[in-house]
Amino acid sequence: MDLILREYLPILILLAVAVGLGLVLILAAAVLAVRNPDPEKVSAYECGFNAFDDARMKFDVRFYLVSILFIIFDLEVAFLFPWAVAFGDMSMAAFWSMMLFLGVLTVGFAYEWKKGALEWE
Amino acid sequence: MTSADFRILLPEILLSGYAMAALMAAVYTTRDKLAATLVWATAGLFVALALYIGAAGVGERTVFNGLFVDDPFARFAKVTILLSAAAVLVMSQDYMYRRDLLRFEYPILVTLAVVGMMVMVSSADLITLYMGLELQSLSLYVVASIRRDSAKSSEAGLKYFVLGALSSGLLLYGASLVYGYAGTTQFAGILTTVQAGVPLGLLFGLVFMLAGLAFKVSAAPFHMWTPDVYEGSPTPVTAFFATAPKVAAMALIARLVQDAFGGIPGQWGQVLAALAVASMFLGAVAAIGQRDIKRLMAYSSIAHMGYALIGLCVGTAYGVQATMIYMAIYVTMNVGTFAFILSMERDGRPVSDIAGLNQFARKEPLKALAMLVLLFSLAGVPPMVGFFGKFYVLKAAVDAGWVWLAVAGAVASVIGAFYYLRLVYFMYFGAEQDPVDSRMAPVQWGMLVAVAAIMLLGIVNLFGIEGPAALAAQALVR
Amino acid sequence: MATIILFAPLIGAIICGFGWRLIGERAGQVITTSLVFLAAALSWWIFLTFDGTTQQIVLMRWIESGTMGSEWAIRLDRLTAIMLVVVTSVSALVHLYSFGYMAHDDNWREGEHYKARFFAYLSFFTFSMLMLVTSDNLVQMFFGWEGVGVASYLLIGFYYRKASANAAAMKAFIVNRVGDFGFALGIFALFYLTDSIRFDDVFAAAPALAETNLTFLWGEWNAANLVGVLLFIGAMGKSAQLFLHTWLPDAMEGPTPVSALIHAATMVTAGVFLVCRMSPLYEYAPQALAFITVLGACTAFVAATIGLVQNDIKRVIAYSTMSQLGYMFVAAGVGVYPVAMFHLFTHAFFKAMLFLGAGSVIHATHHEQDMRNYGGLRKQIPLTFWAMLIGTLAITGVGIPLTHYGFAGFLSKDAVIESAWVGSGFAFWLLVVAACFTSFYSWRLMFMTFFGESRAHGGHGHDDHNGAVHDAHGHDDHGHGHHEPHESPMVMLIPLGVLALGAVFSGMIWYKVFFGEETAVRDWFGMEQVAHGEAHGADHGAVAAVNSEGETVTAEAAPAEGHAAEGHATGVAPKGALLMLPFTPEEQAVVDTRLDAAKVAKAEHPPTTIINAAHLVPTWVKVAPFIAMLIGFAVAWLFYIKDPSLPRRLAQQQRPLYLFLLNKWYFDELYDVIFVRPARWLGGFLWKRGDGAVIDGSINGVAMGIVPMLTRLAGRAQSGYLFHYAFAMVLGIVALVTWMTLFGGAK
Repeated sequence: MDLILREYLPILILLAVAVGLGLVLILAAAVLAVRNPDPEKVSAYECGFNAFDDARMKFDVRFYLVSILFIIFDLEVAFLFPWAVAFGDMSMAAFWSMMLFLGVLTVGFAYEWKKGALEWE
Repeated sequence: MTSADFRILLPEILLSGYAMAALMAAVYTTRDKLAATLVWATAGLFVALALYIGAAGVGERTVFNGLFVDDPFARFAKVTILLSAAAVLVMSQDYMYRRDLLRFEYPILVTLAVVGMMVMVSSADLITLYMGLELQSLSLYVVASIRRDSAKSSEAGLKYFVLGALSSGLLLYGASLVYGYAGTTQFAGILTTVQAGVPLGLLFGLVFMLAGLAFKVSAAPFHMWTPDVYEGSPTPVTAFFATAPKVAAMALIARLVQDAFGGIPGQWGQVLAALAVASMFLGAVAAIGQRDIKRLMAYSSIAHMGYALIGLCVGTAYGVQATMIYMAIYVTMNVGTFAFILSMERDGRPVSDIAGLNQFARKEPLKALAMLVLLFSLAGVPPMVGFFGKFYVLKAAVDAGWVWLAVAGAVASVIGAFYYLRLVYFMYFGAEQDPVDSRMAPVQWGMLVAVAAIMLLGIVNLFGIEGPAALAAQALVR
Repeated sequence: MATIILFAPLIGAIICGFGWRLIGERAGQVITTSLVFLAAALSWWIFLTFDGTTQQIVLMRWIESGTMGSEWAIRLDRLTAIMLVVVTSVSALVHLYSFGYMAHDDNWREGEHYKARFFAYLSFFTFSMLMLVTSDNLVQMFFGWEGVGVASYLLIGFYYRKASANAAAMKAFIVNRVGDFGFALGIFALFYLTDSIRFDDVFAAAPALAETNLTFLWGEWNAANLVGVLLFIGAMGKSAQLFLHTWLPDAMEGPTPVSALIHAATMVTAGVFLVCRMSPLYEYAPQALAFITVLGACTAFVAATIGLVQNDIKRVIAYSTMSQLGYMFVAAGVGVYPVAMFHLFTHAFFKAMLFLGAGSVIHATHHEQDMRNYGGLRKQIPLTFWAMLIGTLAITGVGIPLTHYGFAGFLSKDAVIESAWVGSGFAFWLLVVAACFTSFYSWRLMFMTFFGESRAHGGHGHDDHNGAVHDAHGHDDHGHGHHEPHESPMVMLIPLGVLALGAVFSGMIWYKVFFGEETAVRDWFGMEQVAHGEAHGADHGAVAAVNSEGETVTAEAAPAEGHAAEGHATGVAPKGALLMLPFTPEEQAVVDTRLDAAKVAKAEHPPTTIINAAHLVPTWVKVAPFIAMLIGFAVAWLFYIKDPSLPRRLAQQQRPLYLFLLNKWYFDELYDVIFVRPARWLGGFLWKRGDGAVIDGSINGVAMGIVPMLTRLAGRAQSGYLFHYAFAMVLGIVALVTWMTLFGGAK
């Protein structure tokens, strides 16, 4: 029992640090920040919509586009991370595979850039 | 991973590289002005690769540690896919150009879809299977809604996407079940597992995977997207949907059930037979009420997929051969038919109402005659080649003891003949009215007439596709 | 050369049938006729120069299916040569005759074209008939067999506006189907037994068949006898033998040249030809032969009795034909095939001539066919009269008894009757009586038509054209006011003349080779000679066969029945066109009692074979047919010249018998009750209830009720809503998973 508890100790420390850091930041904002509220600033914000409203509404397809693009690069990182961690042990094939993957991704990025998908207006 | 592995993969690599290079070249230069050139170049590349695969491919090799297989079956399917995709591309160029639809992305997306299909038919692992399938599907979702300013086209794309996602989910769920029970994603490994005994979970996995793939071939009851998507998409895209992806998905089903579940034909045979019967009858019955020729062709393809599935569900090499022959004949017929549908217009606007065919024979006797041959062939009227396709699958069913299935197929084909022959009736004896115009680019006209001629001349020896199809089937069924 | 003979009529038929619009009707007629004449000339050339050796001329590979393979080949032997001559000669003459006969026809309206069609049919028939007689295998023969059936159907129904002609055509076709069914079964059985349909293979296997048993219907049968009977059923249909004969009299609805060609000289003899062609098989099927003999004799007798009282000139000749066919079958049945062919050969001449003569009479009297309305025509149409007279002399068998001088029928019919005596006393007596009847009705026809007072102008009111029978035959278009009988044109008389030559001389010329010395006959037909002498008697089974060079070959080539076991071991088809085995010891014993012992003692050749034996019958047997003929003639003279009221009184006195004969033994009525009405009832039932209610009902129900309903359902399911679609998919997978869980058989 004791042993198990000791193994979870790092988690407990991490939890404590996290809670502490959160408190510090909130308190810092409350203590240090300049308060100058207006209705826009205090309203809840989520992708430009009211947070508490009917979910079935039309919204600008551009949000969709940006989120898709975001997911692509998000996933890229998800691939890159384990690759980077194991970098020391891997073969040249693995290295070039990732390079190829990044190259393909870059082609796609270049296309969307040139196509103007990244411009909001 | 050796250079030999890559050499096997050369066509896919070439196509992917070409797609990216073309994308960059087009987007950084004249954009859509390059589209026509790209269409022809892509079609040319397809044909060249088809010839290369057909001529240079020998033997049977599994590469990349059992992820990817190259055998006569894969090659047969690839050649069919490439040629039909090339045919559809060149047919659609004129149509899309005149309607200002010719985006340079179109040929590139088709290329990527084709790469996906080629991976599908060569997959020897669940991962490869899924990767190929998704590459194909994602490209097709986009192509379906390529006419962005049309509500119907967008609707088609969206429906296809959502339902496709659902089917992908089913497939993935099934794949994970299979993996869970078999402990491997490789087909060869799954095969050894099922030969020892079939746990219920594995069976569930099989059913879910087949359901996901049935969506791709639009077999009933996973067909619901087909009529709407066929109708909503621009006609060239419909033509593409009706041809190459069907071959790829059908080949994939064949590969999955034979390579991964070859030991238990009794299990998937039932599922596929149920799908086949449902598709044949639904396709035949529902098409009768259609007034739109594109929706009609959608039901027609549903019914045809039912016949093709008959060949697979019997589980014999002859059955697989029959299915491959059927698919080859099916895409050929559809290329010809869509060449005609592409040309239907009135005052420069495309029409797809079948009432427009009334008295068409008086206006364009040659085209009407070619269409007559094609429709007879689609209906399976001897001596057209379409009859022999049906004959093969029904014979395969009878030989394997599935007599009731063959009888069902024959009955369904009788019902189905009604709506094909009704089109003929409209063309030759329809009500007096002004028929549609039929403006054809030379290449469309050539396709129509050539396919009609094939349907007649093919009765000699089906242009020799029996041999390769038999080879393909023997490679798959052991 | 045989190829030219075979295809010339076909080419003619095609050119004339399809091309007459281009080349004109007249040209079509000329082309067909000249091509058939060409074929006839070549046939005579072949016939006269033929050496008796069987040849096979392969035209093409025809059928390849499994073990069944056959060529399309011409089998040229004596039998074929005879038939070629008969078919092409009569056909050529009939073509020529038709120029005149068909020139005007009341059945067609002004400006209608029918002549080209007629000639094309005639030529097509000729081609089919040649196919039949030249065939080298059974399937090819069946092809020709059906071809003549079709041509016969087309020609009987040539006057398609006449309901009776259509009915007759259908009757002929349907009755023939019954026979053809037997024929087809016979072919199937032979293929099943011998694995081949080629004549050579079948003949080679014949001795083995005699030892084989076959299960058919309810019992086991000897294969050779069963096949023999089945094939003979086919022959019965085509040759109008008893029970399948009812179509032949009705077939007289066709134009008279057709009756002459098809229903007298050629097609109806196809059955006789078939039996002769299959003689190597029949020789091993004694029961089948006995059946043929009895049936042939009965037919000859029955047909002759019916012929006594008929009034339609063509029907009299039709029954006469049927009767003569019975004679031929008796000859074949007692195993003397050359005599069957002999009678076929001579009969073709005199019967074609009688028909053409009758056609000439009908032509002369403006399509009047009832003999009661004739009379005294001898002076008006003298040439026709002379032709008919020669024909009558030939058919009744006029000649000098005990010599070989006489009209064609005298020689051939007497040969049949003498042979019949050897084979079967029953058949002999029926044939003799039939010969008497033949003489009676033939002379009756002559007397009623050509002698006495003209009855056309008498009480029958020919002038106002209201004779009941007359009106049935349509109106006269020869121009009104010209009602006198007139002689036919030369194109019609020339064929009569040519046939008259045949009717007079064909018997005397070819007597020797058909029914002369056994060696001559065997030599002519290319058969192996049978060695006599010591072989006769106790060790009869060991007859050694010697071929024409005199070289001795082993018994297997012509095995006696005792040798069948050795015979089928090697299985070689016998040489020549026919096969005639010597008598078996049991038969020999019976035969010896029938023969004239004095003649046998003096005989050069012992009576070990039917031909030799037939020459040694008692003298009274040889004279019997002649006596019968004289009686028939005398009675006819008494009835129709001496006392014309006698027939009527006799008919009244013996009314039941008269009606029985007049109504053709009530065969038609009997068949109507037994077959036609039940078949009609069944047909009506199947049509109204089976087809109308069940099949149409269900098909229409499905096509107009269920399918549209399903279509509407499917259309409603296709709502366009995404969630419906997804729901359908989920339902589908649920159903599949449930099914697999319950019945999938997972462990």
